[in-house]
This record gives sequence, C-alpha cells and structure tokens, in this order.
Amino acid sequence: MKPPVKRKRTFQRRKVCVFCADSAMKIDYKDVKTLNHFVTERGKILPRRISGNCARHQRDITQAIKKARNIALLAFSVVAS
Amino acid sequence: MRRYETIFIANPDLPEEDQNALQEKVRSLVASFKGEIVKLEDWGLRKLSYAIRKSSRGRYFLVDYLADSPALVRELERTLRLHDGVLKFLTVKTNPEVTKDQVQELKAASQAEKAPRVDERPSAPEPVPAPPEAEKPAAGGEEK
Repeated sequence: MKPPVKRKRTFQRRKVCVFCADSAMKIDYKDVKTLNHFVTERGKILPRRISGNCARHQRDITQAIKKARNIALLAFSVVAS
Repeated sequence: MRRYETIFIANPDLPEEDQNALQEKVRSLVASFKGEIVKLEDWGLRKLSYAIRKSSRGRYFLVDYLADSPALVRELERTLRLHDGVLKFLTVKTNPEVTKDQVQELKAASQAEKAPRVDERPSAPEPVPAPPEAEKPAAGGEEK
C-alpha cells in the first residue's frame, strides 16, 4: 500500500549561469542593456537564486552594477510612481 | 604601464567650446604625464538615472588611456574635481599590467583611428528594448 505522502512539489529547473553558458558575453559596467537584466524594476540587484548566476559571475555583475550606479548609468533606486 | 578608463559627465549646459576645451585639457594632461590615450569617446547627451547637481541629463565622455604612474590618475581626477562643468567622474583600472608589446599595439591602433576620424560619436544605444516580462521604467539607457 502506498502511503499518501504529500510532499510539497516545487518545480525547480536548475538554472545555468548565462555567462558560463556563453563565454562570449562579457560583464561590463558600461553595458547598461545587459545589466538591466539583473536588476528589478525597482533598481535592486537580483539575487542569485533568481538570476541563476554562478558565484563568480554574480559577484562580477554586482560590482558592475555598483559601478554603473556610481556614474548614473543605473539608478540606485527607482521610486514607484 | 597600466590601463585606465575614466568616464566623466559634463554639464550639458556647458557651451560647445567649453566641452571641446575640456576634452583638449584631458588630452594634454595625459600627454604631459607621458601617458597614451587609447580612445576618447563622446557619448553625447544621455539621461542620468538620477539627478546630479539638479541636472537630469549629462554629456558623457569616456577616456581610455595608459599611464606609467598613478600620478596621472590623481592629477586627472583632481582636474575633473575642480572643474565646475564636470558633474561626476569614475576611474576604473582595466588592466594593471600592460606589456610593452601591447603598448605598441594599442598605440598603432589609436594612431590608425586618429587619422580618418572626424569626431563621429557612437550612436546612442537602446532604442527602447521593450522587455516582455515587465515594464521597466527608465532605469538608465534611453536617450533624450
């Protein structure tokens, strides 16, 4: 008899770091278009569990975003309208 | 030699000749420290992601250069800091160790670039990318 075990099924697809998958992609703080993929619409940096980046590339992205913010290419925070 | 990259934002209200004078100043400064400019780009007028000194837009310049000593960077930053028309600047070291061969290569490249160029500026990026997942407010890229 099989017990009706109820397990919470969370569907999780293992995300692969886009920068590892495509080595042609470079992380550059001047490249706003790419960096925009890694911030929320509020301007926060997306966490790794969402972006799926590996540790190294997440760190690089974080550094790049912070540089871009410094020179006003990205916003520190976007105020909700 | 080390390779650096400095972005500075000039006040858009600055008259054109002052903008040019600023560029010239940077050039001569780098030359006086025996540095080498790889490229000096004018990104043109861009919207700032946040207001700097009450200005919501700024004219971006990117200087990519080689320097023997950090003294050049110090002096360049000092000059920019003192210049009233500069809203903000950022210097990044892109290569801490440029070998002699690479220096020659870059020099050749910059010479080659210098000849045919008549101050064309790179077209402003991002003509509204239209991301499907959510409406992303003006987080940075758009022109005007």
